[in-house]
Amino acid sequence: MADVHQEGSGSGADFDLSQFYQIFFEEAGENLDQMEQMLLNLNLETADDEELNGIFRCAHSIKGGAATFGFSDVAELTHKMESLLDKLRRHELQPTSEMVDVLLESADASRALLACHQSGTVGQGPATGALVQRIRSFVEGGTPSPNVAVPAVAAPAAAVVASVQPVQATVSTPEAAPTGSASGVARQLLIRLSKLDHAAQADAIAELFRDIPGLGEIKPVVAPDVASDERVFEVQTSSSNDDLLDLFAFHVSREQVSIQEVTPVDAGAPASAGATVAVEPAAYGFFDGAPGAPQPHTAGPATTVRPADVVKGSVAKAANAGAVQPEAATIRVAISKVDQLINLVGELVITQAMLAQNSRALDPAVYQQLLTGLSDLDRNTRDLQESVMSIRMIPMSVVFSRFPRMLRDLANKLGKKVEFVTQGEATELDKGLVEKITDPLTHLVRNSCDHGIELPADRIKAGKPEAGTITLSAAHQGGSIVIEVRDDGKGMSREKILAKARERGMDVSDQLTDSEVWQLIFAPGFSTAEVVTDVSGRGVGMDVVKRNITALNGTVDIESAEGYGMCVSVRLPLTLAIMDGMSVGVGNEVYILPLSSVVESFQVRSDAVSTVGQDSQLVKVRDEFMPVIELEKVFQVPRFDTDKTSDMMVVIEADGSRVVLLVDELLGQQQVVVKNLESNYRKVPNVSGATILGDGKVALILDTGALVRRSRH
Amino acid sequence: MPVILTVDDSPSMRKMVSFTLTGAGYQVVEAVDGVDAFEKAQLQNFDLVLTDQNMPRLDGLGLTRKLREHPNFKTTPILVLTTESSDLMKQAGRAAGATGWLVKPFDPVRLIEVIKKVVK
Repeated sequence: MADVHQEGSGSGADFDLSQFYQIFFEEAGENLDQMEQMLLNLNLETADDEELNGIFRCAHSIKGGAATFGFSDVAELTHKMESLLDKLRRHELQPTSEMVDVLLESADASRALLACHQSGTVGQGPATGALVQRIRSFVEGGTPSPNVAVPAVAAPAAAVVASVQPVQATVSTPEAAPTGSASGVARQLLIRLSKLDHAAQADAIAELFRDIPGLGEIKPVVAPDVASDERVFEVQTSSSNDDLLDLFAFHVSREQVSIQEVTPVDAGAPASAGATVAVEPAAYGFFDGAPGAPQPHTAGPATTVRPADVVKGSVAKAANAGAVQPEAATIRVAISKVDQLINLVGELVITQAMLAQNSRALDPAVYQQLLTGLSDLDRNTRDLQESVMSIRMIPMSVVFSRFPRMLRDLANKLGKKVEFVTQGEATELDKGLVEKITDPLTHLVRNSCDHGIELPADRIKAGKPEAGTITLSAAHQGGSIVIEVRDDGKGMSREKILAKARERGMDVSDQLTDSEVWQLIFAPGFSTAEVVTDVSGRGVGMDVVKRNITALNGTVDIESAEGYGMCVSVRLPLTLAIMDGMSVGVGNEVYILPLSSVVESFQVRSDAVSTVGQDSQLVKVRDEFMPVIELEKVFQVPRFDTDKTSDMMVVIEADGSRVVLLVDELLGQQQVVVKNLESNYRKVPNVSGATILGDGKVALILDTGALVRRSRH
Repeated sequence: MPVILTVDDSPSMRKMVSFTLTGAGYQVVEAVDGVDAFEKAQLQNFDLVLTDQNMPRLDGLGLTRKLREHPNFKTTPILVLTTESSDLMKQAGRAAGATGWLVKPFDPVRLIEVIKKVVK
C-alpha cells in the first residue's frame, strides 16, 4: 500500500535542500533524545498536559522537517506517532506503558532511518510497517468507530459527477452552508488523487478519516484505469466538498483532487453531468479582510516566480545571508581543535611559570613594570586556561540520560520494578573522562538492577517498597568529581564473599574490615556468572570496572549493608590535563602533590612521632593518629647533606584516609601540566605523572592514592 | 529592502526559510519561538511576520494575538505556517488576527509567491 518514495524533496525541486540536511539531522536527533527522555519520565497515571504537549511537539517537529526535506519514510512514521500523541494530549486516550513502548521503538526506528538517510544507505533502515500498524491499533482502539452503514457502491461507470465550484481562497466556516450537498446528509463519493509526489500523501488523506471522528469512512479502490501516480478512494461522508478539499489541502494541493458523487444517498442532489472540475490549489490562503491581506483582485496564485530566478538570486544572496541572521547560541567544533587549544595553553602555562621563576631574582624597584606585566600574564594565563578547560567540560547529564531507558528495558526483562533517581546532573566533567566513565558506570548501574534490586515479591516480604530505587549522583568534591551508584537492594554478604574468596584460593582472613572485604570483588576473575546468583550478586567484570577507573586516576569505593543496599562511589579527577599542585622538596628533588589532596602542613615536633613496629611510624595530629610516610625512603632520594632530615609534614587525604608525608621543605603552589609518564617512560610506583617545572627540570607528580594504600600494608 | 521576521523552533526550518527569503531579496530576522519573536518585534518593525504554529513558550496564534495588540503591528501581514490539519486551526488563525496561513511542508517557490502578494 505504501510504496514510499525513498529520496527527493517533495517540494521545491528547484531548491537544493540538501544543504539543510545536516542541521535537520542534528535537530531531529536532539528531538528524538528529548522525546525519549520525556517518554521515560512520563507518569502514566498523572501525565500532565505540559509533558504530553512537549512529547507531541518533538514528534511534530521531526515530522515537519522530514516532510520538508523529503524523508518520507521518517515523515510517515513520525506522523503516526504524532497522531497517537495528539490523541493522548487531547485526553482522548489514556497513556499506557504499551503505548510508551511502541513510541520508544518508533523513536529508535526513526533514528535508524535518519542515520540511513544521513549515510546515504537508504533502504537499509528498519521496516516500520509493524510499528505503524501497532500505533494505528492504539489510535483506532480509542476512536469510536463510526457506525454508519455503507450502502452498496455503484460501479464507477455509473458515477454521476458532482459539480465542484471553484473555491475562494477563504476559510469556509462549517456553519455557513457550503457548496455541494448540504452538511448532515450522507453521500457516497469517489475521490481521485492524481499526480502524487508520494503515494504516502494519499495514505495521509485516508488517515484524516480515521483521525477525525464523524468525518466518515474511506476505502481504497483498485480500479483498472488507475495510473501509478493516482489513487482512488471510495468515501462515505456527510461533509461538503469544500470542507473535504480544505482538509485535503493539508496534504495535497487542490488541483490534484477530483471528487465525484457516486450514488447520492438522499438522491436529492441534482446530477449535473460533466468532467471533474479542477480547483485552485489551497496550500495557503488569506483571511478576507484580515490586516495586511492583499486586495481581492490579487487573490489567487496569479504571480508566479520563475524558479530559475529564485535559485539564481538565492545563490547570489547566500553570502549575505549570514550578515542578517542572528548569532547562533552554540557552535559545533571538532574536538581535535579544542585539544590542540588545550595543548597550547599547557605550553603557555609552562612558559609563564618559567618567566615567573626567572623574574623572582629581579629587583622590584628597577623592574617594576616588567613584574606588573608578569603578574598580569599570570592572571590572564590562569583565566585563559580555565576558559579553555571549560570548553571541554560537559555535564554529567549526557551520561546519566542513557540510563533511564536501559534500566527500564532491563527491569522489564527481569520482572523487577525500579525507580531511577539522578542527582547533580549539571555537574561538569572533562569530555574525555565522560566518554571513558560511561562504560564502567553502565556496568555498575546494570549490576545494581540485575543483582542488587530484589524481585517485587521478595521486597515486599522484606518490608521494603515494591519498587527498588537506584540513585545515580554526581558532585564536585575539591578537585574531584564523585559519582555514586546507590541502590536499596539486598547488598552484599560478607560471609559469602569471604567464602567465595577462599574457594578461589585467595588468602583472606576473617579480620579484614568490611571495606577490605568489598574490595575483594574487584579481584580479577573473582566473580563469574554462576557466583552471581549465589553471592549477592556483584562481580561480573568488576575487575574491569576497577581497572578502567584506576586508569583515569580514579578510585572506587564500596559501602554495603546486607539487606539494605549498597553504594559504589567512583572518584575521578576533573580533568587530566592540568592540575593545581604543591611542590615539595626532598634532598635535591622536587615532587608535586595534587593540591586537591593536600589537607594541611606543619613543622614536626619530634615528640609527636611515635614508632610502632618495624619501619612504622605514627604521628598524632589533634588527637588523631596518622601513618607517616617518608618520601626520602619511598623514592630513595640520595642525600649529600647527611645532617639534614625531613622535618616538614604534609597531611594528604586520598581514598578516604589520611597519611602524613615527611618532606624537607614546601616550595610553593603552582599549576602543572600533567605529562603522562607511562607513555613517555614506564609506569613508576607511587607516581601518577610528571611535569616540567619553570626552570626546565622534570618533577614527578605523586600518586597520593597509591601512597595512602601503601600505608595500609 | 523589506524585512521579514521568521519564527520557528526548528533550526533547520528557520535556516531554510531564511535562505529562501534572503535569496529572494528580503532581509530576514529569525526568532526561536513566540516569546523571542515578540521581544524582537519590540525593537524593530517588520514588513511581514512568518510564524510556525506549534512552538514552546508561545505558539504562533498566541504571538499573532500579542502582535495585533501592539500599535506597530496592527496592519502588518502575519502568515501562520502550519501542519495542523484542521479547519478549526484556520478559524482560530482568523480570530487571532492572522493575515493568512501556509501549509507546511511548503514549497520555497510557493512561499515567495505568497509573500509577494502581501509584501510590496
